Amino acid sequence: MDEKSHKAHRPSQSGVKAEKKQGKGKEKQHGFIEKAFAPRSGRRAERQGRRNVERDQTRLHVPLVNRTPDDEPPPVVIAIVGPPGVGKTTLMKSLVRRYTKQTLNQAQGPVTVVSGKKKRITFIECNNDLNSMIDVAKVADLVLLMIDGSYGFEMETFEFLNVLQAHGFPKVIGVLTHLDLIKKAATLKDTKKTLKKRFWTEIYQGAKLFYLSGVLNGRYPDTEILNLSRFISVMKFRPLVFRNTHPYLLADRIEDLTPREEIRESKGKCDRTVTVYGYLRGTNMRMGTKVHIPGVGDLEMKGISKLGDPCPLPDADSEKRRKLSEKRKLLIHAPMSDVGGVVYDKDAVYINVPGSFTRGNMDVPQGEGERMVMDLQDVNATLEDGVARSQIKLFGSSSKPLTVDPGPSHLHGRSSDEGEDDGDDEDDESSSGDEDEGSASGEDDDLDSDSGEDSEDEGEDEDEDEDDDEGEGVEDHGRPIPRNVRRSAGGLPTGHDRQGNDVEYADSDSDLGEILDEDEDDLVGKPSGKRVRFGEDDNDLNIQSDEEEISGGEEAPQWKAGLGAKALAAYQQYSRKTRRKNWMKLIYSSSLTPEQVLRDDPSSSASPADAEENEDDFFTIRSRGTVTTEEDLDMTKEAVKPEDLKEWEHEDLLDSIRNLFITGGGHTGNETGGDEGYEDTEGGGFVDLEAQGENQDGENQSEDPETARATALAAKKEALKRKFDEQYDDPESSKLDFYEEKKDEIARQLQLNRDEFADVDPEARALVEGYRPGAYVRIELVNVPCEMIENFDPTYPIVVGGLLAAEERFGYVQVRIKRHRWYGKTLKTNDPLIFSLGWRRFQSIPIYSLDDHSIRMRMLKYTPEHMHCFATFYGPVALPNTGFCAFNSLTSEATGFRISATGVVLDIDRSAKIVKKIKLTGVPYKIFKNTAFVKDMFSSALEVAKFEGANIRTVSGIRGQVKKALAKPDGAFRATFEDKELTNGIDIIFLRAWYSIQPRKFYNPVTSLLLSDKGRWAGMRLTGQVRRDEGLKTPLNVNSTYKAIERAPRRFNTLKVPKKLQAALPYASKPKLMRPQQKQTYMQKRAVVMEPEEKKAIALLQQIRALRKDQVARRREKQNQRKEVHRQKVAKEEAQKSEKDKEKRKEYMRAAGMKSKREADKEEGRSSKRRKT
Amino acid sequence: MSQPISILHFSGHQYLRHRLVLSILSGKPVRIDKIRTDDKNPGLRDYEVSLLRLIERVTNGTVIEISVTGTAILLKPGIIAGGSVTHDCPLSRSIGYFLEPVVMLAPFAKKPMQLTLRGITSDDRDLSADLIRTVTLPHLQLFGISEGLELRIKKRGSAPLGGGEVQFLCPIVKQVKTLNFVDSGKIKRIRGIAHAVRVSPQFSNRMIEASRSVLNRYIPDIYLYSDVYKGEDSGKSPGYALSLLAESTTGAMHSAEAVSQPGVTPEDIALTASRALLSEMLAAANWESLPHERMDSSLIFI
Repeated sequence: MDEKSHKAHRPSQSGVKAEKKQGKGKEKQHGFIEKAFAPRSGRRAERQGRRNVERDQTRLHVPLVNRTPDDEPPPVVIAIVGPPGVGKTTLMKSLVRRYTKQTLNQAQGPVTVVSGKKKRITFIECNNDLNSMIDVAKVADLVLLMIDGSYGFEMETFEFLNVLQAHGFPKVIGVLTHLDLIKKAATLKDTKKTLKKRFWTEIYQGAKLFYLSGVLNGRYPDTEILNLSRFISVMKFRPLVFRNTHPYLLADRIEDLTPREEIRESKGKCDRTVTVYGYLRGTNMRMGTKVHIPGVGDLEMKGISKLGDPCPLPDADSEKRRKLSEKRKLLIHAPMSDVGGVVYDKDAVYINVPGSFTRGNMDVPQGEGERMVMDLQDVNATLEDGVARSQIKLFGSSSKPLTVDPGPSHLHGRSSDEGEDDGDDEDDESSSGDEDEGSASGEDDDLDSDSGEDSEDEGEDEDEDEDDDEGEGVEDHGRPIPRNVRRSAGGLPTGHDRQGNDVEYADSDSDLGEILDEDEDDLVGKPSGKRVRFGEDDNDLNIQSDEEEISGGEEAPQWKAGLGAKALAAYQQYSRKTRRKNWMKLIYSSSLTPEQVLRDDPSSSASPADAEENEDDFFTIRSRGTVTTEEDLDMTKEAVKPEDLKEWEHEDLLDSIRNLFITGGGHTGNETGGDEGYEDTEGGGFVDLEAQGENQDGENQSEDPETARATALAAKKEALKRKFDEQYDDPESSKLDFYEEKKDEIARQLQLNRDEFADVDPEARALVEGYRPGAYVRIELVNVPCEMIENFDPTYPIVVGGLLAAEERFGYVQVRIKRHRWYGKTLKTNDPLIFSLGWRRFQSIPIYSLDDHSIRMRMLKYTPEHMHCFATFYGPVALPNTGFCAFNSLTSEATGFRISATGVVLDIDRSAKIVKKIKLTGVPYKIFKNTAFVKDMFSSALEVAKFEGANIRTVSGIRGQVKKALAKPDGAFRATFEDKELTNGIDIIFLRAWYSIQPRKFYNPVTSLLLSDKGRWAGMRLTGQVRRDEGLKTPLNVNSTYKAIERAPRRFNTLKVPKKLQAALPYASKPKLMRPQQKQTYMQKRAVVMEPEEKKAIALLQQIRALRKDQVARRREKQNQRKEVHRQKVAKEEAQKSEKDKEKRKEYMRAAGMKSKREADKEEGRSSKRRKT
Repeated sequence: MSQPISILHFSGHQYLRHRLVLSILSGKPVRIDKIRTDDKNPGLRDYEVSLLRLIERVTNGTVIEISVTGTAILLKPGIIAGGSVTHDCPLSRSIGYFLEPVVMLAPFAKKPMQLTLRGITSDDRDLSADLIRTVTLPHLQLFGISEGLELRIKKRGSAPLGGGEVQFLCPIVKQVKTLNFVDSGKIKRIRGIAHAVRVSPQFSNRMIEASRSVLNRYIPDIYLYSDVYKGEDSGKSPGYALSLLAESTTGAMHSAEAVSQPGVTPEDIALTASRALLSEMLAAANWESLPHERMDSSLIFI
């Protein structure tokens, strides 16, 4: 930077100038005239009001529980995404410089910086690989989507946006770069406008799009970056559902912990033990959950531990100012980048010392000596190995080299060497472990320094735990006794207990004083203290036996034994009654069974151990004292013993529980302390009636009533005050709307949860609820494939996603899926598809289906166009409503849009209910009236029996039913039809049935991170692809080829309505087709003989009729002639008329043509004239 | 294909039901061995086998492998399917034994559960159908499962021969409500059901009277119902029982029950029940093991 930043202007805080300025400001404030913004009419006011209310509603979102703690949230993940060469690294460097004033030469992996007093940011750059884009989309809180302004949107950008959409949409800010390449201002404006429009349609209307002009000194201009950082800092993040239910971690450092020797022995092929470091995000991460690293697979966590924050937020004492001081701004945590020249690799730390000799630096000329040293470094085998590997051939032509049998001494030497190596390695390990431990405990101490006197003990405890975590402290110290014992013991009256202790430790007088003050942890170590440790110790002690020793010892005097027993009893009493047990600790961090904890009985803990010892012997007599079959029935109801109930016959006992009822009144005089005893023991879940009397300790008696009364009074006052407030203030205002109420409820529950864990020590807390998001943790993973370490590339993000209990399982996942409209091809059933679902990326084989009238799920061969359908595949279970996207291939070679489908999980099951249609065909071989014998449909009578009563149909559409199997040809059956069938063999009979299919159990995780070339993961190929690669032809089934279909014309029999039915039909429905009358009518049957004059008359009439006929015919002919003449005349006239018309039209057209011609001529003349001039 | 999921290992026949239920809820396979290996009659009992059948029917995809001797079982849990299921319980245990695990599973099923169980409705070892209806189901309501939750006692069946039938309807729950229940409160009412089958209906009245003689001194709000089943609905063998329920101001419940025994008068049964109720109150162990279990399971699901 050549321009030097000048000292910023500081306005004067006091004096005339300041006053003047203040005055001005006030005046301006006065300038707001309310009337100016008042609505002009009532109608307008109403509209304005409505608009305001509507705008308010847009503010509301479904309230979600945010599980990230507010006090120390994890850094916000900001992903910088874009096609290559768009300026991602430059932006990252600029932003990092803006926040930390440090320049990264090589920004790899996540970079965490402190951006404010309560805010940290993790930047991560996403490379162009689709796998990385998917992983980044799953963890990013804010995406800086970089777009090359001079080019426009690229396919990767759209793909990334679609991936984002499928996995819950985080916030997106667009960043347009390379705008300096557009020279013309107008084009620039247009480009900006069009790109913005497109961006808005992709994200939402009004999404923020940033413009970065050019690069100055390898960075973007400072002002623009400053503006961008301001936008980032005011960004609010809404919890996304998936991330709010899963713990996850973006690893910023990875380390290989596998012993070197093991790696060497297996030639680097053994499974590794790996630790990953990072900030925990999402929800609490508990030990015992499985994790998934996308690109690697499901892994088992061996250990998880909280580390000191490498990039801590400034706390209250270190940072008192309102703003972040400049000094604090220097904090940066980027282990994979070279901050200050230090790079952490998977197994080493590199320190870059610029200016001096470095390996691989080719531009510095290297001397001979340097080259020699480098050659030496390249040697990866010892001289001995080299010699051993080299072969000696006596002659150049000899086929076999000389071999020497290795002697025994040589072997021996080898093994001893190995042993030494082992020892060394172990030493190294342990020393490094110690260091870790030391630092960790130191940090813990720091954290706990305010917790008072307990801090030391705590520190020690944690040290021990650290030991366990490291796997070094193998010897079992036993579980440390809950520490808060001491706290209650401090207020213990010194009466009989002191006495008990005296006797207890009589044999080691010297410790007496200290023991009381010391933690019981220390007692464990001392032999004398052993006897005190009852109740919680788990493996090595048996109190009974100790007691026996005491009492049964020959030289022990009588009084001593008695006292010992008494003391024991007293101590037990004390430990049981006065000490409030830390149930959480007892249950979660001890190996005791719940019964043992409840019974508080040390002997029971010892007995299983005894039993196990007994089992070692060959034949032993099992003691069955405790196990009686009748007692051990698994039952809920406790057996009521009549003798226990006997006591209820006494009146005073009956009266003593009156206070348990609402009618019994409060704490009146008649109950002494017994009732409080009940209350106390209620939490404990057991009652010792006899002990009640003794339970009343002096201090309990004296203190309790006063304090209790005081607290009760305070509570009462508080309640009254609240009531008064509610009534006095506006009761309407205190009433919340539904939204506020829900939000309040969530907040209250969160508060409750927080309070519950407030006073639990962090260790127990981690055991119960896990590590909270925001903690910087180290997770140790075992059985990691070695390729992950060998092919580690810091530019590919490593996401460690915690799995819920259900998600470890496998099953059939039913999803609603839609082919992406930009994807070129339709998707076919049983073609492998790569899913990105939950944390996972995997390949599976889906079967598409559609709901068929809510009766069945019917298989589809192909996905429908523009429509959702169902898909079922075998894979890891994901909770319903989880979004996913699917790909056909993840390689960058694939042309076009790579996301083939998107959808959401609907259902999980262990079986799929998808059917496809199957048609069984058969042919009739014998046809009766309505019955036919059908063969070739089934192969056995059993199959027929299964299908009895099934509906069948002929091709011509005659319906029928399967009746019964026939004996003779196997599988033939009798069927009835609603009509007579057509001729034998022509009509095929078919039975439509549904065949249920299951998706193939194929699950192939995308292990992209294990490859050396991470973009080239190839899964199962499509059948077509395999054929193409192998040069095979598609098999062609002869029956599947299409042939021309010749169909004989169909003849149908006439419809015959049976007479009976006809008779029953109403007249309207009766067939009206009558046969011609065959019976002669009465008249027809009669012969007519005429009289002579009758005959004459008829003849005359006939003659007249004939004449008349002739007359009419002649007349008609004449008329026709006349008409013909007229027609000719008319035609003539018509012709003349048309001729005339034609003439007329011709005349007109000629005139018009002349006119237009003249006009054209005129035009031409004018123009020619003009041309002339 | 998938990673081997670690199998939890238990031995002994105790807590079989809880182990099975928690395995299914958490989805972790469980192996239980040494089931009564020392017994004269080793292996699973008939009712345990029947319970395994029931669980297999309620779930989908559960694989249960029982060793040849019956002393070891391997359960690979499936998905809780729900739906309508009918099951005949053996006469060695009463319906309560089978209903309790199903009550824990049913809210987390995929479809609402309609379970019909036939067998003995009340005996002196397990919770009777009455107690499950009046005590266990209200506890489910604390977790936000209330709409459509019902237990219908269609027929009653007493001890030796059974013949009872209950129908359990349970809706599915989307999210379990958090429970904040720390105050036991004071008892505000006592309810009870005295039922008698195949005996004189007077028996139930006698039980009620005897019970009132003990309880009347405390609280006036006592209603003891007489519930006499006749004819078809009364099962195959005679019997009578009294189940009592005390409810506190905060909803805590204390319950007790006594079932008829040969040679004991109904009055004595009633007295036993009432006194058991009083001692129950006194012990204030108003939480039976069952709700505790459910708390665990609900914690898993939250």
